[in-house]
Amino acid sequence: MTRKNTTRFGRETMRKSTLSAAFLATTMLAQPGFADEHLRIVEEPLELTVHFHWPRNQGYEEDYPVEQAAREMTGIHLKDATAGRNTPDHNEAMNLLLAQGDLPDIVGGNRIKDPVNQYGPEGAFLPLGDLIAEHAPNIQAVLDAKPELRDAMASWDGNIYYVPYLPDGEFGRAWFVRQDWLDALGLERPDTVEDLYQVLVAFRDQDPNGNGEQDEIPIFLRHWEELIRFVTLWDGRSTGSDTYHDFYVDNGEVKHPYATEGYREGIKNIAKWYEEGLIDPEVFTRGTSAREYLLSENLGGITHDWFASTAGYNESLQEKVPGFDFAPMLPPESISGTRIEEHRRTPLKPDGWAISYANENPVETIKYFDFWFTEEGRRLSNFGVEGEHYELVDGEPVFTDAVLTADQPVNSQMWEIGAGIPRGYYMDYAYELQWTSDAAREGIELYEQNDLLIDQFLGVSLNEEEQAVYDRYWPSIQTYMLERQQAWILGTGDIEADWDEYMAQLDKRGLSDVLEVMNSAYERQYDS
Amino acid sequence: MSQQEHIGPSTEELVVEAREALRDRTRRRAARLGDHFKREWQIYVLLLPTILWFALFLYKPMYGLQIAFKDYSIFRGIDGSPWIGFEHFRTLFENDQFLRAIRNTVIISFFTLLFGFPAPIILALMFNEILNQTYKRAAQTIVYLPHFISTVIIAGIVITAFSPSAGIVNTVLEWLGMDPVYFLTKPEWFRPIFIGSGIWQEAGFQSIVYLAAIAGVNPSLYESAVVDGASRWQMVWKVTLPSILPTIIIMLIIRIGNLLEVGFELIILLYQPATYETADVINTFIYRQGLQQGQYDLAAAAGLFNAVVAFVLVMTANTISKRVSRTSLW
Repeated sequence: MTRKNTTRFGRETMRKSTLSAAFLATTMLAQPGFADEHLRIVEEPLELTVHFHWPRNQGYEEDYPVEQAAREMTGIHLKDATAGRNTPDHNEAMNLLLAQGDLPDIVGGNRIKDPVNQYGPEGAFLPLGDLIAEHAPNIQAVLDAKPELRDAMASWDGNIYYVPYLPDGEFGRAWFVRQDWLDALGLERPDTVEDLYQVLVAFRDQDPNGNGEQDEIPIFLRHWEELIRFVTLWDGRSTGSDTYHDFYVDNGEVKHPYATEGYREGIKNIAKWYEEGLIDPEVFTRGTSAREYLLSENLGGITHDWFASTAGYNESLQEKVPGFDFAPMLPPESISGTRIEEHRRTPLKPDGWAISYANENPVETIKYFDFWFTEEGRRLSNFGVEGEHYELVDGEPVFTDAVLTADQPVNSQMWEIGAGIPRGYYMDYAYELQWTSDAAREGIELYEQNDLLIDQFLGVSLNEEEQAVYDRYWPSIQTYMLERQQAWILGTGDIEADWDEYMAQLDKRGLSDVLEVMNSAYERQYDS
Repeated sequence: MSQQEHIGPSTEELVVEAREALRDRTRRRAARLGDHFKREWQIYVLLLPTILWFALFLYKPMYGLQIAFKDYSIFRGIDGSPWIGFEHFRTLFENDQFLRAIRNTVIISFFTLLFGFPAPIILALMFNEILNQTYKRAAQTIVYLPHFISTVIIAGIVITAFSPSAGIVNTVLEWLGMDPVYFLTKPEWFRPIFIGSGIWQEAGFQSIVYLAAIAGVNPSLYESAVVDGASRWQMVWKVTLPSILPTIIIMLIIRIGNLLEVGFELIILLYQPATYETADVINTFIYRQGLQQGQYDLAAAAGLFNAVVAFVLVMTANTISKRVSRTSLW
């Protein structure tokens, strides 16, 4: 009851302000230099309701300092109308919202791309292409600069239905090695697969932690899926995106990495290493505490994990493990001599926000979305409020000491004030660099100097028929692939003996049909 | 016809009499029913919330079951989605992984029942034989405890206990001179571990029902058994067990009704692709296909199938029990 009334009241206010907004529209083009007034979208305050679902806080707080600053600058005021506030699951929240039918003006949060692209063509969300072209010069500028993102964002009908969160910065995960162990054994950093093998054997046999026991675990991983990434050392692939087991693009053709020769060779060797005890025997069940436990117990040698958080152990473990030096290293060269880092930060998140069919002020809303892509809006969404959380030093935003020295990590502080949350905005990597440790920064520089990155598969939007084919075959194919994968690594199956049967099974389960729809969708989406 | 006419008069009289008697009885019964409601209305008011709860949370959602026969889109809604008949069921039964999930569900359920059902009864009988009250209470509390631990923690305990490097199970194996086993990736070990941990978690708590039943056994039965020179073993076998048999049978029928509701949260936390072969049950299959992939219609079809099988099972169990032991749910 109360909710309905509020909405009706909200709409009333909105309708009144539409007229004045229309008059204002001509004068509000983004012109840097003027005071805050140039960001104003509406003369009279306008309220828009918003569903905003993300893992750390299911909802959009009206007293975020960032929201209040944005309200002051633009005149637009977001009111929280989040469905499913008590579930941490984004699918569930989105489905609750859609099932209740009565959509708020703005729908946003994490992982909205798929539902928005699926229900947009059914009429639930407004297509944004024309609105952006006419009213959102700053978003348009980003899309013009990165046309591949526009392709990747689009739904199968060619329309854009959401304004995304665009991450900045390139590297995500990296290889790390215990430099102090290498030094203790008089070894060089491994540069090829063969080197790596020798180092692992030495870690296993020569007691680098010096406790007199052979308890070292040469390769350890927090996510067992990272182990599959080792197939890149044999020119295989484990995924094409930042989602595990995903498709990848090879010379303009969508393929699945788990049905290629490089993968076969890679898994064969990983199985051999596993059998020889070079890989954590408990890699499949150790779980996310593996890194914390194995590093602090001085047991783990090499891993593949995120730059910033992994490098952070150099500080936190200095006392517990004397001489601890966990250094980022370049990925070893593969057997054919190529050196790649398969993981990278995705340039496009499936997060952001969209305009629902129920929104009566689409023009004001798209202008509001555009605000976050202006210089001021981007700073606000990355660094918080000027004077409070950051200062401008030579025109560059710098976090205040209070923020940098607080007990909480900077990113969690930002989430609490409403910055860095998955609205449609453009991340500024400078924000993260300011609180990245030196060890990680050195590693990132090392990776930047070498050309390690490969193109990512940013996903396709399937139309109804293609989706039906995908839904029908894909889950059982993936289940089968993963079952065989683990069996081979654990040694309960032999990949060389099973391979032909495996490929025949994939075919029987419809892999070629799935690849066909993936490729037709890919051509439609990226060729035009 | 003619014969009936021949003895007509008396029959007619009888019929009229019977009709009047019937009318009378109905009238009286209606009056009695009215009186009954007038007298006992408080009881019906007390019953109302339960009826409402059933109607709202168990009968109303049945309306949504129709999506098992529809091409469901959450935005179009249940009514707006087109009918597609048995398409989802066809998809399911063409999928060897679904058939495997049915097989695993049946096997796991069967063995859970076989080993898990007698466990709390045996436990209750054993508690009953403990004479030291302090020891008895302590022991009971300890076996109840796992019931109150969240499934996530139970899974953590199981994973740690069976870990090849630090787990107690492998430590014992090594003492005995055997090689450590990575149990949780071995398909042949999944079912014993899953069923065993289920029994460890629930047997204690389930034994409460039987303890209560045992407490209700008439002490004079034991006294006369003692007079007759029965041993303790004979008393358990000839007095306690037959006395609590109705409780056992009712519990058994309830268990059979829930037979296919394998505790899939624990399975999701414990299984690996490597153990899908023996661990993947209908509910985990639904979880992967339906919820993770958003195919609610297909998942609803699988769930409906599960419910139909469970219904048949409980009907059968009840009928057999009615014939054999004269104890039944209805």
